[in-house]
Order: sequence, then C-alpha cells, then structure tokens
Amino acid sequence: MTTLSGKRVLIVEDESLIAMLAEDFLIELGATVIGPATSIDDAIALIATQEIDAAVLDLNIRGERSDRVADALRLRDIPIVCATGYGQGAADFARGSAIIAKPYSKEKLDHSLRFALG
Amino acid sequence: MQLGGGSDKLAERLDELSALYVLTDRLYRAKSSHEASEAGLDAIRDGLGCRRASMLLFDEAGVMRFVAWRGLSESYRKALEGHSPWAVGGRNADAIFVSDIAETDEPAAVKEMIAREGIVGLAFIPLTVQGEVVGKFMTYYERRHAFASHEIDLATTIARQIGFYLERTRAEQARKIAEEELRGSEQQFRLMSEHAPVMIWTCDALGKCTNLNMMLREFWGVETEDVPTFNWHPTIHPDDAAEIGARMMQALSTQTAASVQGRYRNRKGEYRVLLTTARPHFSASGIFRGLIGVNVDVTERDQADMAMRHSEERFRSAVEAAPSGMVMTDEDGRIVLVNLHAETLFGYGREEMVGQGIEMLVPDRSRSSHPVFRQGYGSFPQARPMGAGRDLYARRKDGKEVPVEIGLSPIQTSEGMMALASVVDISERRRSEAQRELLMAELNHRVKNTLAVVQGIAHQTFRGTQATDAHAAFEGRLMALSAAHNILTQTSWEHASLDQIVCDSLQIRGAFSNRVSTTGPAILLQPNQALSLALAFHELLTNAVKYGALSNDAGTISVEWFRTDEPKPRLKLVWSELGGPTVSSPTRRGFGSRLIERGLAADLEAEVAMEFQPQGLVCRIDAPLPEGILPQ
Repeated sequence: MTTLSGKRVLIVEDESLIAMLAEDFLIELGATVIGPATSIDDAIALIATQEIDAAVLDLNIRGERSDRVADALRLRDIPIVCATGYGQGAADFARGSAIIAKPYSKEKLDHSLRFALG
Repeated sequence: MQLGGGSDKLAERLDELSALYVLTDRLYRAKSSHEASEAGLDAIRDGLGCRRASMLLFDEAGVMRFVAWRGLSESYRKALEGHSPWAVGGRNADAIFVSDIAETDEPAAVKEMIAREGIVGLAFIPLTVQGEVVGKFMTYYERRHAFASHEIDLATTIARQIGFYLERTRAEQARKIAEEELRGSEQQFRLMSEHAPVMIWTCDALGKCTNLNMMLREFWGVETEDVPTFNWHPTIHPDDAAEIGARMMQALSTQTAASVQGRYRNRKGEYRVLLTTARPHFSASGIFRGLIGVNVDVTERDQADMAMRHSEERFRSAVEAAPSGMVMTDEDGRIVLVNLHAETLFGYGREEMVGQGIEMLVPDRSRSSHPVFRQGYGSFPQARPMGAGRDLYARRKDGKEVPVEIGLSPIQTSEGMMALASVVDISERRRSEAQRELLMAELNHRVKNTLAVVQGIAHQTFRGTQATDAHAAFEGRLMALSAAHNILTQTSWEHASLDQIVCDSLQIRGAFSNRVSTTGPAILLQPNQALSLALAFHELLTNAVKYGALSNDAGTISVEWFRTDEPKPRLKLVWSELGGPTVSSPTRRGFGSRLIERGLAADLEAEVAMEFQPQGLVCRIDAPLPEGILPQ
C-alpha cells in the first residue's frame, strides 16, 4: 500500500468541524486536500474540475443522500471512503467501497484511504 | 231328485234323504277322519242299499289308499290299492259308473281280481276339495247293476258332503299347525330374548306391554306376573316424556319403526339414557300385532358424547375468540374450520374457505411447493412456527399479499390428524419495525456525527498546544465510547454481549491482541452497562500500555469473568496484569481510576476493587446483572 503522501483527496462533509478535522488529519498524513465540499453541487463541481485520487464522502449532506456524488466519483473510477454515522447501515450506499464509522481516528482514516487506493 | 210313482220308491227316497241327514249330522260331529269315513260308508250302505263299499284317499306320495271299507277281502284291497282313474289334484273329475266290469277295457288281471271278489257292477265317485280330486269312494254290486239317476245324484251328494268335511278338517288342521307354529315361535322368541344381553320388549297394537325380557324387568324391577299391568311411562324423565310418548304413539299409529333416546328411571331411582329402537310386527295375514323393541343403555356413551361435544364447543369458541386468524386443515390440506379473524385477514367468507384446499391462501409463487411442506409437517407434526427464518406471505381474496407470522399446532381429532394454523398479520409490525429502524439509524447517525464534532472541537482546541498526551487520551476515550456505541447499534440498543465489548475495547490496539487473553461465558449487558464497561476497559488498557503489563515487551493481561445466579444474577470480572514493571500504588488517582472505581460503581451499582499488587494490577468488578436476559 502506498502512503498518502502527495495524494489528492477530496473531502465531502457538511459539518464544518468534522471537515476541518478530516482536513487536518489528511494534511498530517501528507495528502493534498481538495475541498472540503460542504454541498453536493460543490462536490460535483470539484469532481468535474479537479484531479482527484480518492474521496472521503459523507453519506448525508445537508439532509440529502450523497448518491449523486458517489456516482460521479465512480464514473471517474475515483476510490471512495464512506464516512458515516450510520455504520454498517450504509452498506447499500457504499456498494463495496470502504466504510469508516464516525468518529474516526487519523490512523483509521489513513488505513482506509490507503486500502482504497490499493 | 224326482219322486217316483210307487210307495216303494217313495220309501227308498225317504231312506236316501234320511241317510243324507244322518251323514251330515255325523260328519258335523265327527271327531276323527275314521269316524267320518265310517259315517260316509254307512250313508252309502243306507242310501244306496249297497252292502259293500270303500273309501280311498291319496296319501302324501299321491298313491290312492284304502282308508275304510265294507265287505272287501284283504287280498282284494292289496291288489287294487293305488288304482285310480284320476291323478292327484285332477279337476272336473266325473264319477264313473260301471254296470259290468267284464264289459270294460280294464286289463284282464284287474277284471279277474274283481271277478274273484265276486264283484260285477261298481261305481267310482271322486272326492274333491275345492274342485281337486283327493280320493274316491266306491260301491260294489255282486250283480250287473244299472245305475239309476237318483243313485247317481245321491252318490254325488254323499261325495260332496264328504268333500266338504275333508275340506273343513284340512283347513282346521292347517290352522292348528299354523297356530302351533306361531305359539312355538313366540315361545322361542321369549326364550331367546329372555337372556339376551340387551333389553327387549314387546307391546300390543295399543302399546300395552306384552313382554319384557329379564334384563328389562331387572332394569325396572318388575316381576314377570306384573308385566301385563306394568306402565313404563312414569319412569321416563319428565323432560323427555313428551317426545318419547309422541314417537311411540306415532310408531303405533303409523305402524312404522321408531328410534328414540331418553332418560328412564331404573329400580334404584337413577336415570339412565336408553336408546330405543322399535319395529312393528305383523301376523302372517298382515295384521298389526304391536311393536318389538330393543333398549340399549347408552348412558356412558351419551356422557362421553356430551363431554366430547362440550370440549369441541369449547375448542370452537376458543378458536373463534382467538386474537389471530385461525385455520384448521385436515390431512389432505382441506380447510375444515376458520374463525372470524381469518375471514377479515383473508377477505373470504368462511363458507368460501371451508372445504377448499389451504393452498388458496398461499401466494402464487409458493403455491406449488406448499403441499410438499404440508406433507413434511404431516409426517412430523409438532407445535412450531411455520417457515423458520423465511418471510411468509398470505394471499387475500383480492389478490393482495400480506406479511404473516404462522404458528402450527397438530390437533388429534376423531377425524384424524388436523393442523391448526394461527395466522397473524404482521404488516403493522413490519411497518413499525421499519419505522423504528429508520429512527434508530437516524439517531445513531446524529450521535456519531455529534461525537465526530466533539472530536473536531477537541482537535481544534488542542491544536498548537503542548497537551498532546491529553489530546490523545481524550480522543482515545471518545473512540472507546464510539466503539461501544457501534456494538449497541448492531442490536438496536437492546443489549450488547460482554465478550464483544471486551474484545472490541482491547483490540483497539491490535498490536497487543496476543498478550491479552479473555475467558468467560456469553453474557448480555444492558446498554448503560456496556458503555460504562467499554470506557473502563479503555482506561485499564491505556493504563496498562503506559505503566502496566503492556508497557514492556513481556507482560500479559488476563480478563476472566463468570456469572453467579444465587441469590441474584451477578457478573464477576477480574482483570489481572502480570509480567509488567513492578507496580506501586499511585500517589494520585487519575481520571482513569476514578472512572473505573466511581463511574462503574455508580453506573453498574458495581463493587469495584483496584489492587495495585507488585506483580501487576488486579481489578475486580462485581456487578448485578439484569434478571431475565439470558445468554443466547
């Protein structure tokens, strides 16, 4: 497994404090943060315009399921880590992508992203 | 008869008449056929002036035999017995008058035999009964005899009189035989019925008792001589009297069979249930003679029937009142019973369901496989839920399917093994379960998001400060709390298994997994217990990593627990560290110790002892377990 060093990771998270935490974790892990996107449209815009290696995606963005974001990412073969408070209840959403339960540690995030990147 | 001219002739006529009167009188008084034959021969002699005469009758074999005679030798009788111009039962037989036997075509031997007896003229007069020849009488003359018409008339009249007599005696005999037979058969009937193991009675056409056999006399306590005056009506139970009376009256008046059941008081004053079957009986000539009846004591059977009916009624009303749809099927899967609930559930009226195959209530996709399951149940019937683990659906009349839960019970009945299915519509339950799951997921999501936000706040708060250890400790505790939440989420916050709490808490740091051993039975914890224990384990583990058995390369931790049930269920758990650096009691109690000692004590009502032994920390937790939650 590669390190996250230099990897461009999109964060999609509507809760700013959680987004900031994820951002800090990723920076500490040597990754480049894209976003964080705090709405579905922002996320889709970023996916369309930015070069992205992986995404940390919240299942629920401002009360809407973020399926459209997941579809856009999958369309571009970008690996996804689903960060969610639903736990394994998000399995149908994740469709095989990694799931990490909130709150997650830096180590857990690191491990999941590296695993997703292969 | 014509009167002739001369006085001799007149005297002859008078003799003839007198002979006829005498004959009629004697035949009337005759007490035997011998007397009658003698009277006949006397009349022939006196009326016809004939010294020799005989009377013959066909015997049973149809041979003409002499029954009486005058002036005939034995050898003559022997030789001519059986000789008859008529066959037995012949009709329209005419008398034969022979003036001289020598002038007839009779065989020479017959002629010679007659001549040897000194007979020349003779007459054959048939004796008839109801027009059929039964015999004859003969008159014999030593000389050639020209038969005068009055002689012929007289002979015919005598023959007719004797015929009448024979007819009368034969009828009399037949009647006597019939009567004797009847008496015999009645005697036989009484004899047979007397000791029969059922109660048998006869009554006459008016319903009066004519015979009660021994068993019935004993039942009522009636002596044989009292039978003719015995009245059985007062022994009938007042509630049954009207019906039994009416049925018996009907049987008597319509001369038909009857069957009626009722209670009768026996000699001991107890009422017994008798089932009476009566048939009319008729004389040979078709006259109604009364009834012959048999009473069978069916008291026990009746009580058993009643008990069965009651229990069946109770069963039916229990089924009817059951709070779920009840459907009973026979061995062939035919519906035999449904209740009101089932009608509502399936949308069919009960008359539409009873008699039909149970498959009508099974969804199309399962219909073909259902009989196989049904037969499987039939070969191993026991009370159990249907379709273990599968979602079951029932098909309504309108074609809609409803999710159901079905419990099956075998019912042994007199008509074979039945299956009673209790069907509950669980649509509402399904909906509320789904609703609850949705709410639970939403709640979890919010709790987790809040924990993540707290994590974020802490992260921002500690950022740039020197309190790295404190930050790590805080985040560790937060993660431990979150991990315990995850476990509880899996069971919808109903319970958590201790084993899982222990393992998850201690394997947060997978590196130590082979240095931590856990042993204990499966125990289910309530949510608050699970959370408190998870936090406690986190503190213990953190402490072990920093200062205890996991702070060097050799130490190990053992976590052992068991359950005691007396007097009340309790959890006893021992955390013991071994092989770490030598332990000395800490001078100051940190948050970890306080959380364990005070937090657990408060949240679990537990007794917690922390023993800082030199070879390692030992923590004993003794906490009450909820009653009723058993390990699965």
